[in-house]
Amino acid sequence: MEVWTGLTTVLLPLLYLVLWGSYVWFFVAERNLARSWSRMLTGGTLLVHIIHITLRTVDLGRLPLATPLEFCSMLALMIMVIYVILERMLRVRVTGALVVGLAFILQFIASAFHSPSDSVNSLLGDPGYAVHALLVLLSYTSLSLSFLFAVIYMVQSRQLRRHTFGLLFRRLPPLETLERMSVGTVRLGVPLLFSALVMGHMWLYNLRDSLPPQQADLLSPYDPKILVSWLILLGYTAGLYGHAKLGWRGRRMNVVAITAWVTVVVTMGLLHHFVPSFHDFTLRSGV
Amino acid sequence: MSEGANILLWGIDHHRAPTEVRERVHISSEAASVLIAALSRENGFVSCVPVSTCNRTEIYLEARPAFHAHEALSRALGEAGLDPLIFTGEYGLRLQGREAMAHLYRVASGMESMMLGEPQIAAQLKDAYRQAKEHHELGPVIMRAFQGAFRAGKCVRTQTKIGAGAVSVAFAAVELARKFFANLSDHRALLVGAGETGALAARHFLQHGIGGLTVVNRSPERALDLAADLNGGKGELVRARPWEDLGASLVDADVVLTTTGAVEPVIMPDMVKTALKGRRGRPLFLLDIAVPRDVHPDVGSIEGVYVFGLDDLDGIVQSNLAARRQEIPRAEAILTAELNEFQGWIQDMDLRPSVDEFRSYLEDLKDKQVGWVRKKESDEVASAVDRSLQQFIKKVLGRSMASLKNAETQEERLQHLSTLHSLFGDGSDDHS
Repeated sequence: MEVWTGLTTVLLPLLYLVLWGSYVWFFVAERNLARSWSRMLTGGTLLVHIIHITLRTVDLGRLPLATPLEFCSMLALMIMVIYVILERMLRVRVTGALVVGLAFILQFIASAFHSPSDSVNSLLGDPGYAVHALLVLLSYTSLSLSFLFAVIYMVQSRQLRRHTFGLLFRRLPPLETLERMSVGTVRLGVPLLFSALVMGHMWLYNLRDSLPPQQADLLSPYDPKILVSWLILLGYTAGLYGHAKLGWRGRRMNVVAITAWVTVVVTMGLLHHFVPSFHDFTLRSGV
Repeated sequence: MSEGANILLWGIDHHRAPTEVRERVHISSEAASVLIAALSRENGFVSCVPVSTCNRTEIYLEARPAFHAHEALSRALGEAGLDPLIFTGEYGLRLQGREAMAHLYRVASGMESMMLGEPQIAAQLKDAYRQAKEHHELGPVIMRAFQGAFRAGKCVRTQTKIGAGAVSVAFAAVELARKFFANLSDHRALLVGAGETGALAARHFLQHGIGGLTVVNRSPERALDLAADLNGGKGELVRARPWEDLGASLVDADVVLTTTGAVEPVIMPDMVKTALKGRRGRPLFLLDIAVPRDVHPDVGSIEGVYVFGLDDLDGIVQSNLAARRQEIPRAEAILTAELNEFQGWIQDMDLRPSVDEFRSYLEDLKDKQVGWVRKKESDEVASAVDRSLQQFIKKVLGRSMASLKNAETQEERLQHLSTLHSLFGDGSDDHS
């Protein structure tokens, strides 16, 4: 088991690197060979990554999501899964050069600094946690991709506004498609985040009954991370409403998407470092 | 085959000759018929394909060594009512053998076109080839040459980006619009002005599937006429609106083409700002192809509005042409590979008569042997022997062809051929 886990840990960043290379090649030269390579490598890389996560899950007896490095690897997988779904739906491959690049960096960090996991709470082996954590991750990945597509929109919009007709102008998709990709990922992320929060609340009440009173007292639906997540959900829902009913389109909608994601990252970062929360599953603190 | 047949080319093209010269040597269908008939009377002529487009007139010929190109073509061109001196003078292009073939392959792939990589030339070549086939029987070399050229052209177009991107101003306008809108059929265009330039641009957008078009013009009659013309009696895709509705029309349209002859701008910032209120945030793409400009310069700085002019379209065309030029080395490599294949086929042609004689000798032997076995044994045994000897002949012939092809020098090759001929030929003529 350890041999296979070690092998996939080394193999994954290499696969992501080659995959990224094929997407960049396709972006720059639009060769059919690059398209076929990226298609084949995407399937292969996803398969190896899923095998890696499965091996790690079996090895650890829990989802590998407790440490920042485990989180990076899982995030890379989620980014790829959502991107591949989008790519197939909208038939746009050129944005892969950016998205796969991000997935490669995340997986490279996860593999390069890989070390035996810290001791973590046994609760992480609970199936309720697995579903909740995966939903949270999928939802935030969707929102992150929305940010990425909004940035590409702004780049293409800038090219058009400056009348610059170079490689980016030729290769990036139309503004309408980019906006559809950005809004589409928010449409996916909002129900996922809602499901994750509902699932989290249900798991929280179940845990209360099974934990010693001292630990159970720490569980609270008013945990700052939960409250902020509800606010994020409300914010993105308002954004979708604005898009559908108030005519938030074009540059304005994409500025909203970028601002929202930056706010989410900054707020969550500040909460993580400065506000105590039971959402810390190492044995140093939390439940 | 036409023994020792060669490909010749006489031509005039846009690289060497101006339009007024090219139009003097344009070959109509009737002239092509006369030309072929006249050439057919010439000694050594096998067949020809005359190609005549607005940028080139070229006559590809398959002829034997006995054909005296200069005299024969001069006589035939004269009969067809064309001036042969143009072909033989400073504008003329006269090539033969591999050079003529290379030129044909380059023409078929759009490498010799005025707009690098344009696709129409492939269809024009196919038409010329088909018409020539209708007039007379084409020789094997010219047939193979044209089929090879069509294949080479297709390879270049599919394996490189030599035909990618707009290289005409009208198509560049559509390409630019497609950088805003994924599907033009979901959007409406507005044409301001009913002049010829506007009509041309509008036609281009309609051909590329724009969802609808509104024509606004100072003269409502001209707007109505143009709308009817663009509709072509089919449907109501194009409609006309009075000049006073210009502001209101900006609310519905996502693509605006302005081509009026007005001396002052007709689309002002206030008009656009008012229209934007009704557009629910949808971006507005304005293409001002009028001189002087129809769109006030301040409109371009309004949020959600993108204004482009003729210079921008030209910039796109130049950028795309530069990108196409970068594909030339890859295209050249494909053409060289295809030409080499053709050259190999030509070289193998002189092997065929001797190899055919050898094959026929072996097959006669086989038939005699199988006949003898059939008398002595059952039909099944005879069929088995027949199949076995067929395989044997195939292998012997394959080996012989390979040895002939691999001959190190032409002398060695001719010696092998001569041996084969003297051993297995019928002795009726000498192989040269």
